[in-house]
Amino acid sequence: MIARALFLTVAVTLAGAPLAAQSLFNSAGLGLPVEPLDGKARGMGNLGIGLQGSSFSPTDPGALARLQVSTGIMAGQPSWVDFTSESGGGGNFQGNRFPLMGIAYPLLGGMASVQLGSFLDQTFAATSEGTVDVGTQTVTTSDRFVQNGSVSNINLGYSRMLNPDVGVGITLGRYAGSVDRVLTRSFGETDGIVGLDDYVEGGSWAYGGTSLTAGVSADVTSAIRVAASVQLPTSLGANASDETDGGDRTFDLPIQYRAGASAEVMGGFLVSGSVAMADWSSAADDLIGVGQAGDTNGFGVGVELTQANLWGKAAPLRFGYRETGLPFSFDGGDASERIFSAGFGLALNTTNGIVLAGVDAAIERGRRMGGGITEKFWRATLSLRAASGF
Amino acid sequence: MKRFGGSLRLAALGCLAVVALSACEEELPVAIEGGALPGQPITILVEIPWSEFASNLEVFGGYGSPEDLGEGVLANAFAGSLNARTLLRVNPYPNVATVRDSSGTLRPDSTLVFTAGRLVAFFDTLGSTNFAAMTPVALSLGATQAEWDPATVSWSFAVDTINDQRAWAEAGAGPVTAFSTTTWDPAAGDSAIFLLDSAQVAAWADTTDVTRGVRIEMTDTGERLRVRSAALRLDVRPSLDPDTIIALSTGVRDVTFVYDPFPSPPPDGVRIGGAPSWRTVLDVSIPEQLTGPPEFCAVVSCPHVLEPAQISSAAIVLTSRASDPAFQPSDSIRLDVRTVFDRAAMPKSPLGESLIVDFLGRAVGPDAFGAGAGEEVEIPFTSFARDLVRGEDASGNAPSSTLALLSVFEPLSIAFASFEGPGGANEPILRLVLTIGPTVELP
Repeated sequence: MIARALFLTVAVTLAGAPLAAQSLFNSAGLGLPVEPLDGKARGMGNLGIGLQGSSFSPTDPGALARLQVSTGIMAGQPSWVDFTSESGGGGNFQGNRFPLMGIAYPLLGGMASVQLGSFLDQTFAATSEGTVDVGTQTVTTSDRFVQNGSVSNINLGYSRMLNPDVGVGITLGRYAGSVDRVLTRSFGETDGIVGLDDYVEGGSWAYGGTSLTAGVSADVTSAIRVAASVQLPTSLGANASDETDGGDRTFDLPIQYRAGASAEVMGGFLVSGSVAMADWSSAADDLIGVGQAGDTNGFGVGVELTQANLWGKAAPLRFGYRETGLPFSFDGGDASERIFSAGFGLALNTTNGIVLAGVDAAIERGRRMGGGITEKFWRATLSLRAASGF
Repeated sequence: MKRFGGSLRLAALGCLAVVALSACEEELPVAIEGGALPGQPITILVEIPWSEFASNLEVFGGYGSPEDLGEGVLANAFAGSLNARTLLRVNPYPNVATVRDSSGTLRPDSTLVFTAGRLVAFFDTLGSTNFAAMTPVALSLGATQAEWDPATVSWSFAVDTINDQRAWAEAGAGPVTAFSTTTWDPAAGDSAIFLLDSAQVAAWADTTDVTRGVRIEMTDTGERLRVRSAALRLDVRPSLDPDTIIALSTGVRDVTFVYDPFPSPPPDGVRIGGAPSWRTVLDVSIPEQLTGPPEFCAVVSCPHVLEPAQISSAAIVLTSRASDPAFQPSDSIRLDVRTVFDRAAMPKSPLGESLIVDFLGRAVGPDAFGAGAGEEVEIPFTSFARDLVRGEDASGNAPSSTLALLSVFEPLSIAFASFEGPGGANEPILRLVLTIGPTVELP
């Protein structure tokens, strides 16, 4: 019942949500990766693997097996960004996205899951002002390029516990989504000659591809959990629509490795660490536009004060730090992201040690740098998890 | 079950929180470096000579009648040749007036005696040639003596309909019974007043008289006046208060003008406007490939296959020339361009919508057809050009390739616009502003 209500809410929200746009780095290469992380992982600076407790993280399929009841999760993520350029420009913008939405349901002694979200954010706009001589007149021009869309994915997973301490999982993912790219030249007022209509040139592409993610999560001791996963993607295909002059394209996607661990120490502290590796440089050969591709290797560390409570309910406090590379940058160097984070969780309803309803919130202060662009951002993540098994 | 309900409420609250959070304002990140553009379009002007884009220029006349203009024209040997006289009929006189009786009460009175009157003619000062020099002109007023049809009346004929053609006894809507004379001095105002006595007023009261009408004529020479409207002011003695004279007004029912000589079709060139109006029709063919001019091919590889979206503007460029002095505009001419649905059905083919965005058309000052002859006038038809290149219009039908150049309102004035025709140094040309950008690909 809860899962159904949650699913409907997710569907309605998804249908009405504007396309996400959170960074200027959306305009580099294939865009900016969207990590399917909830508020807990964000608060602890985690890269989506190895956290203790039952969690719903598509990047940690082994941990999905630890969900004991049907569970739904969704996360919303607004961000506020200020950016500067070495050339002297700057500005700010804000945007929202839904990085994680999914449902897990017990099946055949394990846990089946469905998760959907964005994989690469690609929405951005660029403008360039200028003048052009038309006959004997000089007319102002405004060239505006708008890219609207993203590579999204839908994942179907299955996980189960091999024994009380070890869970394994596998996820089959399908890349989807589309992108529209439209270049428009508008003209200023003309004197003497007739008005000039906008020039519009563009195209639409639909994405397709497949990925397979396998992972394992093991409790080494009662206080230490380790986990690892690997994602094997096929290449990402982009098929141009019939009306598009541009051609079909194919992009290599990297194998993504993740590993993480968390340990409870001193009876009230949970510490975690995680690493991720993915080399996107092979995608550089497929790019014909500006920018360059690198790796997204990185790490994240964090701590959770597990004994904190609020109004008599468990409300753990979290702090973290993470540092990762960005897969694509503008000409002039690699891009990276550094984030300090804090957050808390609130178990709204717990029965027999199972959280039936919980909220995890995180606030992040981060900086992205690369290719002469520096972004400083605040980002909030609010995720809701609801479960039912009774 | 109770716990389950609590969970559901909490879940719903959480969902609301997430939805509310997602309702924050969304802004598009705008890159500040031009490098994020997939390339920069080029915009270039290309001019194509008449022989490469147009053919079959033809001028048609007779659209509308001077009556449609709703105003009059007066001329006497204007520019050495033009004579024009205004004809009008006034509305029936008022048959009741509200007057104050001997007790001071306002009452309707239907027993009215018309003692005198004044026909007031109002002039379009800017449209009259004597306004610039403030030259007074003498006018005369007379009553027509023959029945005339306002829709078909002309200099020679009072009625000119199918199977009914009746000439004036005297060319120029004559003869008339002379009623009054006056002088219009533009320095004194925009109106001239003809005084009428009681007999003259009474002569016009009979609405069953088919000859009922007025002719205004200019007796001075060398000017051309536009009569914007007219009204009859009546002095009335009411039966309820016979010691008092009250004034009543009545307007004009029919107003038109006759003129001579009627302009003959131009042997060459483009003519637009006049009353009745002239239209110029031509066939257009936008080149599918551009192989020049050299300055175009210097930035675009030639031959260049033209695409509809690349046409930022398309216009025919006409060069004005002096109109017949008798029909030279004294005010702006407003030009329009429309597609002709069936060239073979001309001059009666229906026309499409105006291709000019401004519903008042393309305004051209009067000097362009006089002292300033030789002025370039662009008449845009961008959507038409795109349809031709695309091979279909917005409805998916094959587009017409014929254009009509005409006045926005037909007729707009007795004057018409004249432009150079094909074959000369200043023949019409096609002016294209093309914007050509890179094919948008994925990065």
